[in-house]
Amino acid sequence: MDLRLTEAQSRLQKDIRAFLESMKKKGEYPFTNDSLQLVFSPEFSQKLAEKGWIGIAWPKEFGGQGAGYLERCIILEELLKSGAPVGYHYLADRQVGPGIIHFGSDFLKNEFLQKMLNAQVSFCLLFSEPNAGSDLAACETSAVEEGDYFILNGQKTWTSHGHSADYGWGLMRTSFDSKTPKHNAFSEILINMKTPGITIRPVINMVGLHSFNEVFFDNVKIHQKYLIGKKGNGFRQIMTNLVYERATIDRLIQNYSAKEALFEYAKTTEKDGVPLSKDPIIRDSLAKLEVEFQVGRKYIYYVTTLLDDGKIPDYEAAIGKNFCTLFEAKLSDLATNIMGLHGLIMPDSPKALFKGIVAESYLMSPSYTLQGGSVEILKNIIAKRGLKLSLK
Amino acid sequence: MNFNFSKDQIILRKSAREFIKKEVPASLVRELIVDEKGYSSKVWKKMAELGWLGIAIDEEFGGIGADFMDLAILFEELGRGAVPSPFFSTVLMGGFLLQNHASEELKNRYLPKIVEGESIITAAISGEKGFYGKNQVGITAKKSNGNYLLNGSVLFVSYANVSDMIICAAKMDSVNTDITLFAVDGKVKGLTATPLKTIFGNYIDYSITLDNVMVSPEMIIGEQCKGWDYIEKIWPLIIAAQSCECVGGMQKVMDMTRDYLNGRIQFGKPLSALQIVQHMCVDMFAKVETSKLTAHSAAWSISEGLDSENEAAIAKSWCAEAYKDVTKIAHQVTGAIGFTEEYDLHLYTKSAKKLELLFGDGAYQRKVVADKLGL
Repeated sequence: MDLRLTEAQSRLQKDIRAFLESMKKKGEYPFTNDSLQLVFSPEFSQKLAEKGWIGIAWPKEFGGQGAGYLERCIILEELLKSGAPVGYHYLADRQVGPGIIHFGSDFLKNEFLQKMLNAQVSFCLLFSEPNAGSDLAACETSAVEEGDYFILNGQKTWTSHGHSADYGWGLMRTSFDSKTPKHNAFSEILINMKTPGITIRPVINMVGLHSFNEVFFDNVKIHQKYLIGKKGNGFRQIMTNLVYERATIDRLIQNYSAKEALFEYAKTTEKDGVPLSKDPIIRDSLAKLEVEFQVGRKYIYYVTTLLDDGKIPDYEAAIGKNFCTLFEAKLSDLATNIMGLHGLIMPDSPKALFKGIVAESYLMSPSYTLQGGSVEILKNIIAKRGLKLSLK
Repeated sequence: MNFNFSKDQIILRKSAREFIKKEVPASLVRELIVDEKGYSSKVWKKMAELGWLGIAIDEEFGGIGADFMDLAILFEELGRGAVPSPFFSTVLMGGFLLQNHASEELKNRYLPKIVEGESIITAAISGEKGFYGKNQVGITAKKSNGNYLLNGSVLFVSYANVSDMIICAAKMDSVNTDITLFAVDGKVKGLTATPLKTIFGNYIDYSITLDNVMVSPEMIIGEQCKGWDYIEKIWPLIIAAQSCECVGGMQKVMDMTRDYLNGRIQFGKPLSALQIVQHMCVDMFAKVETSKLTAHSAAWSISEGLDSENEAAIAKSWCAEAYKDVTKIAHQVTGAIGFTEEYDLHLYTKSAKKLELLFGDGAYQRKVVADKLGL
């Protein structure tokens, strides 16, 4: 056991901190809470690309740095802590790139990997459908072979950044034979979002923000060379891919600014002449939150080391993601309570403290425990893979 | 960064687990919690033979001088067996306080005997009300003819009946609240130990009273008035060891509950096939997995000699509450059989609550966390 960072890792941490500090000072880019979902800045992503901080965990032969997932975790932690605008390159770095490296053809590798590393292409995920939420295997959007092409018809939904991304990573039904087991009925296809026949309609979330979309496919023609991996293997590929999605620190850190705001507020706001943080109940609630944060952080670092050991930490990633999303939901609830009526004031309002991020984060929180696999779906995965329970 | 145990540590854990499974089965634990000694001297002797009692004691006193991590592994396995024994008070409280601070004479007097299994030590550091903290110390020392007279009482002292020596924290007088640690003979005149019937044991914990107990100055551990500093120094070790005990216990609860649910047929299928039961098991499992990492990290940090105050406080806060929560979920999914004397779960439910409260519950530890945050 050795829980220290190596010298090189500590240096990386320092470098990225210094870089972010200088970027913040310049004031050219939007730094905000939950930036991963809300902000899309190709220019900022290109700055990171210049530093080699996109695809750092990818193998060298594919243009990455050949460093570990731990290095990626270090970078990500600092990026998200600072609220840096990472939305543009985020999916490419986290799962589309690794997915293409694992399963993609040479054509796809040549076509996309270098562009991802340069932050010149962005992605969205086309998984969920109106009738396939938690039950992903119920997807119906079809890709029918016609000559060298697939013809796509159907509808995807909850597509974050669908309106701004260049390509969509789609899970499409390619087998319509009722005898085919449902887990062999799907394929993954990369779809240019500008292809004729695609209609994108915004879905405004309950916070009043436009982050996700509905995407309609009406006889959309995509060349078969955009098939990722094997035809019929899409569902299995996606399960591996989702491990990469879940095995990261993002959900723990996405609301770091709200956490900082909360602690700052409690320390500096006096009630009856005493700082709120000296109130025993508030003090213990904050310490409890910190304990959870530190436990979650340790767990995510552990999951990261499993990835670096070449394992696919399926149930561990699910435990980590559940832990972190439950933490962030708790954080925004506690923060709004401690800030009292200030906890109700939204961004852009007069009298908003900390730019209103705490109120906004509270409104975002129902989504945390749903996205990327709801808490309950992840519990099913953990029960199946992590516990030796008789399930039947 | 790696979270893996070394080969030697894995072997140590395996042999400890086998030893406890064989030598301290649940049937013996049941006997010990009503036994008048509160521990098994046969098992104690064997622990000495295995080198466990000297694991953290320097080689010059016959010990092994191993890392704290090795000791932590033993605590985890003791927790897994819910083993009632004076291991904690002797090896951790006695061993570390003496080794870190006592005079050569006191070290030579006690440490080799600890290693041999011939001396049981305990510590009385709280007060009449059973609260922890420098201002809560319940014994007062008064100088008298070159010696000290100790008076006062302490609510909770484990194994006071069988201890050869009790490390007593004492205020130097009622005005000066500085604390001095005295090595007090367990059979000294003026010391009364009354057994407490607790949720886990009838003769394990004692309320002690000191009535003009005379102690000579040579029996002071370390320097006068530095006693509480010494306690604070080993506090992370105390609560990290407890955290590991919690981890061992909750893993056992997880295992026994899983086995039970897999075998218990209701509605024509095992209870484990019910999704709601599965999800409750996942809640337990997540607590176990996160507790493991947290407790092991704290133990590692102590092993490496790093400042571990915060890490250990986080570990105890998390693990003690997790252990208790795990027993609660286990009771709910196990049903009525889990509420019986014959089923083992209650041993852990009781041990979880005791570990939570001894040396301060989660809220007590979180004061350290709050201080570190500048709250």
